[in-house]
Formats: sequence, C-alpha cells, structure tokens
Amino acid sequence: MIHGIQLLPNCRARVLFVVVTLVAGGQLRGETAGPDFGREVRPILSNKCFACHGPDDKHREADLRLDRKEGVFSPSASGVTPVVPGDVAKSELVRRIESKDPDEQMPPAKSGKPLTEVERNKLIAWVKSGAEFKQHWSFVAPVRPAVPKVSDAQWPRNAVDNFVFARLASAGLKPSPEASRETLVRRLYLDLLGLPPTLQQVDAFLNDKRPDAYERLVDDLLASPHYGERLTLDWLDAARFADTNGYHLDNGRDMSRWRAWVIEAFNKNMPFDEFTIEQLAGDLLPNATQDQRIASGFNRNNMINFEGGAIPEEYRTAYVVDRVNTTGAVWLGMSVGCGQCHDHKFDPLTQREYYQLYAFFNQVAENGLDGGKGNAAPMLAFPSAEQAARQRVLEAEIAALQKVTPDQSADEALKKEVAAESKKHEDELKHLQAQIPSTMVMADVPQPRETFVLVRGQYDHFGEKVTANTPASLPPLPPGAPHNRLGLAQWLVSPEQPLTSRVIANRYWQMLFGIGLVATAEDFGSQGEQPSHPELIDWLACELQHSTQPGVAGTPAERWNVKALIKLLVTSATYRQQSHATPELLKKDPQNRLLARGPRFRLPAELIRDQSLAVSGLMKHRIGGASVSPYQPGDLWTELSSREDSSNWTAQSFVQSHGDDLYRRSMYTFWKRTCPPVQLSTFDAPDRETCSVRRARTNTPLQALVTLNDVTYIEASRKLAERVLHEAPTDFQGRLRFLFRTVTCRMPSDRELAVLAKMWGQQKTHYEKQPKSTAAVLAIGETPADKSLDPLELASWTMLASGVLNLDETITRN
Amino acid sequence: MMNQMLRRHFLQTASLGLGTAALASLLQADQAAAEGIPGVLTKTHFPARAKRVIYLFMSGGPSHIDLFDYKPALRKHHGEELPATVRMGQRITGMTSGQTSFPCVAPMFQFNQHGSSGTWLSELLPHTGEIVDDIAIVKSMHTEAINHDPATTYIQTGSQQPGRPSLGAWLSYGLGTENENLPAFVVLISQGSGNKTDQPIFSRLWGSGFLPSRHQGVRFRSGADPVLYLSNPEGIDRENRRQLLDGIRDLNGIAEEASGDPEIQTRIAQYEMAFRMQSSVPELTDLSREPAHVLKAYGVREDATDGGYARNCLLARRMIERGVRFVQLMHRGWDQHNNLPQQIRGQCRDVDQPSAALIKDLKQRGLLEDTLVIFGGEFGRTVYSQGTLTKDNHGRDHHGRCFSMWLAGGGIKPGISRGMTDDYCYNIVQDPVHIHDLNATVLRCLGIDHLRLTYRFQGRDYRLTDVHGEVVRELLV
Repeated sequence: MIHGIQLLPNCRARVLFVVVTLVAGGQLRGETAGPDFGREVRPILSNKCFACHGPDDKHREADLRLDRKEGVFSPSASGVTPVVPGDVAKSELVRRIESKDPDEQMPPAKSGKPLTEVERNKLIAWVKSGAEFKQHWSFVAPVRPAVPKVSDAQWPRNAVDNFVFARLASAGLKPSPEASRETLVRRLYLDLLGLPPTLQQVDAFLNDKRPDAYERLVDDLLASPHYGERLTLDWLDAARFADTNGYHLDNGRDMSRWRAWVIEAFNKNMPFDEFTIEQLAGDLLPNATQDQRIASGFNRNNMINFEGGAIPEEYRTAYVVDRVNTTGAVWLGMSVGCGQCHDHKFDPLTQREYYQLYAFFNQVAENGLDGGKGNAAPMLAFPSAEQAARQRVLEAEIAALQKVTPDQSADEALKKEVAAESKKHEDELKHLQAQIPSTMVMADVPQPRETFVLVRGQYDHFGEKVTANTPASLPPLPPGAPHNRLGLAQWLVSPEQPLTSRVIANRYWQMLFGIGLVATAEDFGSQGEQPSHPELIDWLACELQHSTQPGVAGTPAERWNVKALIKLLVTSATYRQQSHATPELLKKDPQNRLLARGPRFRLPAELIRDQSLAVSGLMKHRIGGASVSPYQPGDLWTELSSREDSSNWTAQSFVQSHGDDLYRRSMYTFWKRTCPPVQLSTFDAPDRETCSVRRARTNTPLQALVTLNDVTYIEASRKLAERVLHEAPTDFQGRLRFLFRTVTCRMPSDRELAVLAKMWGQQKTHYEKQPKSTAAVLAIGETPADKSLDPLELASWTMLASGVLNLDETITRN
Repeated sequence: MMNQMLRRHFLQTASLGLGTAALASLLQADQAAAEGIPGVLTKTHFPARAKRVIYLFMSGGPSHIDLFDYKPALRKHHGEELPATVRMGQRITGMTSGQTSFPCVAPMFQFNQHGSSGTWLSELLPHTGEIVDDIAIVKSMHTEAINHDPATTYIQTGSQQPGRPSLGAWLSYGLGTENENLPAFVVLISQGSGNKTDQPIFSRLWGSGFLPSRHQGVRFRSGADPVLYLSNPEGIDRENRRQLLDGIRDLNGIAEEASGDPEIQTRIAQYEMAFRMQSSVPELTDLSREPAHVLKAYGVREDATDGGYARNCLLARRMIERGVRFVQLMHRGWDQHNNLPQQIRGQCRDVDQPSAALIKDLKQRGLLEDTLVIFGGEFGRTVYSQGTLTKDNHGRDHHGRCFSMWLAGGGIKPGISRGMTDDYCYNIVQDPVHIHDLNATVLRCLGIDHLRLTYRFQGRDYRLTDVHGEVVRELLV
C-alpha cells in the first residue's frame, strides 16, 4: 500500500547510523550494527511467521512462539534453539529459512508467504549481529527522546522541525522554503476551521507586518467557534455518527445533542483525557452532570437493528462488539476485532482478553432490537416546559383512572368510559413522548451481566466466564480504578498506557499533513506501518500527554492539551513549507513521507462543498442543531427502501430542506447509513456503519460530475458571480482577479488571466445566442437570481465561477 | 507526453487511486477511447474462463421448494408436522419461533422436466425451462444467516457484519475495467411486482468496504440521469461544457507547472473521462436502437410492471458488451412470509422471461462463453408454513440450511445439477456448497485464486472468502 520509505533503500543505512548515534548515550545495542529489530526484523517475523508461531494459542505450530523472547532464544521441545545470538550455524531459524527441503523449509510453501531474498538476508544479518530483541515499539510507553541537534540552526522553529530536519539530512534532503503568505493563510483556515478565509481575512494577514503575525493568526483561528466544528468532523467518522439506526429499515435517530457537545468540547479545549472519560463513561462519573451524560452517547452511535425475525441477543452482542472494536481503533489504534473469534494472530491479544474488554461494555441497559422508533433506551429526554407540564398532567390522570377502575362500580357504561378515557390519555402521552427530543446515552444495568468468551464469536456459544480487565501485554488498570467503563476510560489516558497518546497525536498529524507519521492510523500493532519518524511520534505523544514544555511535568491544565499540540504542529517550519515538488523530490519521496516539502492534498469531502458555499456567500454559519437535508438528485432512499408500510417508520423517503438549511456546513447533512449523502461519499466519506479513522483519497470522474453538475455548485457559482458583479472593481480584469482570488486566495498570473478572459468570452458568446439557456442556468437553485443584474452578464460570470470552483487548486489544500 | 520520472511515479503509486493508473494508460495509448484500467492482478492466477459477471440477485430469499428443488415425496407429508429429526433443533427466526405448529407444505405448483438434461423445474419458470441445458443448478447452497440484513451482506461481501468489500468491488480491485469510460462495477435495482412490502436493500451490498472507494458499485438509475450528476444542468450544453473544460484544463496545466504535483495530471484526465461518460453512458442506456424483437424477447414492458427487471437484463448485456466488469442486478420482492402462492407468481413473471432471454441473447452473440451469469438470493425458505396453512394459501419463513441458485456461462459446466437435499428440502444430504464456496468458485471462473486476491487492512490480509471457501470443481468445465 504505502511505499514511502521502502523506496529509498540507500538512505536506510544512513538512518540507522543516525539512530545509533541518537541512542548512543543510552543503551547502545548489538555487537555490530545489524538491521534494526523494530523497523526491519519484527515486521518480517510478523508478516511471515506469526500466523503459525505467534500469539494465537490455538493455531500455533510446533509449540514455537516467535513474538516473545522466551520462544526465540530458548530450546524448543525438540531440543533445537530457534536463535542463538551471533551464531548462525546453531540457529534453527536460519537453517529452516535456508532449507530447500520442502518438509523443512520455512515458511512452508503452503503458507503462500515465501521469504524474499532480501528478507532472508536480513534475518540472517540480524542473528549474526547479536539478535537484538525487544517488544513491538508501540506497546512500550514512550519516553521523551532528546531533541536532535541539527546543522541548520536557522530553519527549525520548534522541536518538531529538529526531528524532521535530522531525518531529511540522513536522506540527503533539505527542507523547502516557506510557502507564500497567501498559501499559508488559506492552508491555516482550511485546516483549522474547515472554511476558506474571506478576502478581508486574507488581506488582514498579508498586511500584518508584526513578526508574530502568523502565530497571532493561529491563535485567532484556534479561538474561533468554527475550530470546534472542524475537529468534530473527523471525530464523527471515528464515532460512526449518523442520523439513522442503520441495518435494515434504517429508521431515523437524533444524536445532534451529542454532536453539539463534541463541538463545544473542542472549542473550550477540554483536555483530551477528560474528553475521553466523559465520552466513554460520563454516566459513571460521580454526580454526573447532564452534559457528561450526553457525552457518554459516544458509544450509542453504533447501529441498532430492527429487523422482524432477528434474534435480539444476537444484535445486542453485535452492539457490544462494535463498541469494543471502535474503542480499540479510536484510542488504542489496534484491530482488536480479531479477538472476537480467535486469539489475535499478530498482536498480543487473546480471545479471552478480548472478552475481558467486552465485559466493560456488556452492561448497557439496552434491548437487542430497538431501532424501530428513533432513539433507543437508555436515553435522556429534553421536554420543553410545556411538554413536561403536559406529561405530568397526563401521567397523573392515567394513574388516577387506573385507581378508579378496579374497585368501583361494575357499571359497564362507566367502565367503558374509563377505559376510553385512559386510552385517550395514553395515546396522547405516547404521541407527546415521541415529540420530545432526546439523545441516547450510556447507562448500565443495575445487576451486572455475566460475560463469557463467545466461542467463534457466536452470541449463543458460551465458553469460559470472564470479568472486565485490560490485556496482559498492556499495563493494568490504574490503582484504585473501578473495574467498569470508568476505570477503562481512566486507563486509556493513564500515563503508563503506551498507545493512546501516540495514536491521538498521530491522528492530528494526519489531519494536518494528510498522512500520519504512522500511515496506518488505525493500526499501531505488529502489522501496522512503522512510523516514518519514530522519535518524533514518541516526542509528540509525551508532549500531548504530559506538558507543553519539554521535560517538565505539566500541570493538570497543561496535560492532553489538543489546541497546544495543534499549535505546535502548525507553527512548525515543517508545516509552513511550500508544497512545490521538484522532479528530484518526487523521485526520492513521492508520498512526501520525509517532509522535504509542504503537504498538498485534496480537501475532505465536506470541505469541498463548504468552500463553495462559503465563497459564494450562501453559507449559513449556525453552529450545532438538528441535521438538515440539502439538495439530492431525486429520492435516492425510496428506491432502496420503499415498502407499502413505509409510513410506519422514519427516514424512509428523502425530504429536502429549504431556505437556510440548504446552506449549512456539510457536517450537519442528514446521514442515512444505508444511503449516505452522495455528494460526500463520492469524495470518499465513509458510510458511518462502523468506525473509521482514516479516509481514502481518490480521484475519479464521478467527482468531476458532482462539482460540475450538482445544483449546489451551480447555485454557488451564480451567487459567487453576483458577488463579482457587486463587490469587485468594475473593470474586467479587476473582476477576473476578484473571482480568482476569492476562491484561491491568490492573484492570478498574467497567463491565468488570459485563460480566464478567454473562458469568459466563450461563455458570453455562447449565451448571447441562447437567451433561453441563459434563463435556465440562472434559475438553478432555490435562491433567486439577482434581477438587477444583466442576465447575459450574470450567466457568463456564473459559468466562469463554476470553472474556477472546479480547478484542482480549488479542491486542493495547498 | 510525460517524462520517464513521472511515469514511474504513476506506476509506483498506482494502488493509491484510479487516477494515476488511468493516466498511465492514457499516456501509453494516446487517449484511445476504450482503454481499460488495470487491476492489481497484472496476470490472473489461472487462465480466466470468464471475463465478466452478471449477477441476478433475487433479494428476499426465493423459495427453492417452489421453484428448483423438486421433491415429489414431499406431497405425502403435506400438512404433517415437520419431524423433530429433520429440524434437529435448528434455530429459527423470531417470526415463527413462537408458532406451536410447523406443518409441511408441498409446492402448490406443478413441476415439469426440461431439456436434454431432463431438469425438473416449477411451472412458474417456463422460460428458464428453455435454458436448463445452459445452466448449472446448485441445490445445496447454504448459509448460517437467517435474516435479510446479515444474509444479503454475507453473500455479497463474505461477512455477516458490515464493513467488507462486495464481490463486485473485489473484482474491480483485482481485474480493473476493460472500458475506462464506464465504471467497472454497475448496480441496477428493480422492485418486484409480487411483494410490495419487501425488504429494503442497502448501499453496503455494493460498497467497497475497506478497499478504496473507487471500487464501489455505481448505481445506475432509470430516467434521464442513469449515473448521478451525469447530465449537464439545464442551460448548459455540450458545446459550452467543452469550452469550460478546456479552460479548466489549461488552468490546471499552469498550476501543474507551478506545483509539480502529478496528481493534477490525474485530475485533468478524470475531467476528460467525465466528459466522455456524458456521451458513453446515455448511448449505453438508450434502448431505442435495440430492435423490436430483442425488446420483445426480453419482455421489456412499457409500463415497467416488472419494476424494470427486463430492461435491466437488457442493459446488463449492453454493459458487458462495452466492457463493464461486473453488473449487479437486484430484484426485490422475494420475501414470501405470507400469500406465497400469489406473490411468487408475480415475482416469477417478473424475472423468468428476461433472465432466460439474457442467457439466450448472450449465447447467440458468443458472449456467454466468457460471461458468468449467477441467479439466486440470500437464502431459501422453510418447508413448514409460516402462519396458517389453508387449501390455497400459506407462507414460508427464512431458511439458510439449503437453497438453490443457478450459474451459467464462462467456465460453468452446463446442464448439470449439484448437491441434494432431503425429502423435506430442509437439510443437505449431498455435496453442500457454502456461500464462501460459491464465491471461491466465481473467482475461479475469473481466473482468480480466492486465497490470493487479498487486501491488507488493519494489519490483516483480507479476502472475499475470509478464511473459508473451496472451489466447487464439479461445477467447472
């Protein structure tokens, strides 16, 4: 998949040299410098050997285990020793991998995983050099590495740059110059707010001559309420947030209060440890506040079924599994899901340990098939004062009527009247309750459920009984922590826990640089990619977890400070580089893993639409609230879900919003899981059925069709054209410049101006001949065209604006 | 022309996006219109018997008992309780688990023999009777799932839980497409006339799971815009669209000089491809040029009372003619919990003639040789009645222990049956074919070893058949 570093074979030796130098003060390894175990040897063992000689107890061959020191260096049952450090001749592993005898050769042919020549030589070199062996890097708590000294003292702006520079130097590369201020201001706005800057904001930054203008801008953006929206966007994928229950009939649900909580939490810079604890276990905090209970809805965002005939316990089990897997991917960066059916093949997680994690989430007071009526219990209701009052009245009256019936009068007529009255009240109460807004939350059953290993992951095949606990390969629960979700949440963010801080720091890196230091953001295990900058990821993890000041234990207020981490990253010289790729750089590092240039990548789906709404002036900036349904090409839902009884459910057919709700940020677009919003899914948004922490970034013709033809983009083009005609200087060149600059934040070159002028001229000539088409183009979208403007003029500018909104530069964050 | 360095870049990063691969092919062949886009398999593992697939998916679970799996002995047991020795504690859905009685129901339809193979088929499938010598019927399909959502997800993606790529996505990933102007994987949906309260379907069934999203199926719809956003909006025609695209291309070209990012070339190529799709897709979906006898043979109905199934069958043929790798039809309405006799008549009227016409048409055009056609649903139905059994009415619940499907064309042995069930059409007594086995066999027809088409996600090499699947060699020529 990702090749970056492997493409640079000759730089590896130099990297190694640097690494050895770096650790020289500490523990210098090995006799002679062999291959690095963590980066070069362990991945081979994991990939080619662990499936049969790894953590999985049940499928282990020859009782040999190569993922542990004991297994590698101790004589096996048959008396041979897999690896004798420094002694190739005595090492059975070497003999086996070199054997040509099909009965002896390892890996065996039937495994389909032969070693390459390079891999074989590497393993032999490793044995020869003393066979250094250590645990997989991410399972050992990060220790803050020393910041490397670099030859160019001028370039680094903060420690991030020292790590990056050292790595570049080892590859014989140099960083790129700083990007232009126009590029930087757009980059920062898109990255931190998810919105492009206005021309005024661009100019304000260009004109700010103070030496710390950049840092001031960063501070301003971090203080903007749209910052919280931007960070929430990625969190919605991770939390598999949606507006429907998923699975089968896919009824509507409402978790907008939880979404609003997340936005607010990011905006007030809630420390990430609190953010974690409240979302995983807010309900279990002593005297939990309403907000903390709302936050706990994180793990109610899973799908909830309602298929007639489905077996409730089968699905309740699926929800618990989903919570374990989501929590594993989001905080631990581990694909724990393997453990549902068997011991993990590559990482130290047994099936038993999987169900110990499962036990934490197995206590939710929920029903298996409760997805048929919107939100499912447990939930918090938010009646208006009026609704609450009416509810009280109805409940009291129903109670009173119930008291009447049994003991008074056998008069049939009266009985009937009472029954009718009760039914009337009950119906009204039911109707009222359905109207009362709510949000799903976590709440445990009063009598804890027992948890068993589920044989082969099947809900009805109970194995051994287990109790809630963390895996043995990771530190235990903190002393005094309860053995429930709250304890688990505290454990996830405890200083000893090696994964969370790295995983989270990496995801913010991924958000800003397009690709994580660990490219496989969802997998920090044995099979995950090795970090491109191992020391840097550890340094950032320490930084995030402990303090903003290197080497100084932070105060509680400084710990897990997300804004501080992001500020650190965006104020680095690494981030501020221009993205221009020279042929030499493209050849040496096509994916820019070493960061000799600034990151350049296509915007996430939501930002593409939001940018068009923003530059056209259409966007309604209201934060939070219910989800909305902007334009969709026809009713895409009904084709999949139409039934004669569809009216019994919700979210079965698409009902488009009107007015302001057409122009909200895309993060508020109603998300139907079985038919996700097509403008977004075309640009790689996931379906939100399950957790996702990394999106693909593809480039397809269907994407071009969306931005060329969707009403959203044509309407935005027209509104942008109206802005040109009202706000730009009235000369032609001035208008071209205004249009181009409003979208890209920079002035067009003369060549670009010439192309723009030609495009405009062609469109004008085209529409001159076709007044009907002119009127048709201007009628697209629900906001009316400005009648004060000449239609021909407006149509020509609309088309040119559409062209500019479709530029590669526009949908790319440069 | 690109220089060597950029070409190398495209090849190195070809797995990252269709764009780069597409561009590489553009660069090679001077923009030949129908150039394909290669998949990850530069060479198939075995010689491919089939190059493409049409999957006629019968969503809801057609009754194998009433259509394919003829059991004259069942007549004797009609109305009798299903013996416990047959049910063997089998878990059943929440819809019938509360029933106190499980009376066996023999089909209310005649069965007749067809073709030189003498295959027995229900009277509801007369047209299928005409192609029995071209198809292989598997009567011993089985699945563990007993409800629609997990069962359809299972057969289409190899897992009952959401998140895995669908069969078509795997093929797009593995084999690419033969025509870059059309998607590799197309989905066509129709609502059957037999049961209007049928089960919903979901985009997950043609999703790409963890594969790059470009491998997901593209849903073609009837009407003016077969592909979403395909048509130019009102007031924009091909002339000024072209002019605009020329301008966009020129500006992107200038940007590329400045930034050096090869992704920009890819973007230019994608915009050109979108433009070509604007003519290639309407040409594809325009049935007006099909001769009347062809429309008649498929039974294309003006009123589309079949929900459009016949039209979709004809479209499927036109698509594979143009190099679409995988055409997935989904016909809803097969969930006969009650009113089975009446509902299944309607469903069969929808699909029998068009499906048979498709096989004949492919054969006559020489396309059946290297096109694999699959017909079937996610599970079968119970031998016992759901609800009360009356003289002329009954229902059947879901049944995963056995069901029937048929396959035809590329690589499939024609005119055979595989597998056998007991006299109750309840348990398999011979040659079971699990849905993983089916998928392994389908891949084999396409020249793919199901063990070796893998994608690494979360550290694991995933495949369509998970850790299961045996190729059913007896089905292969």
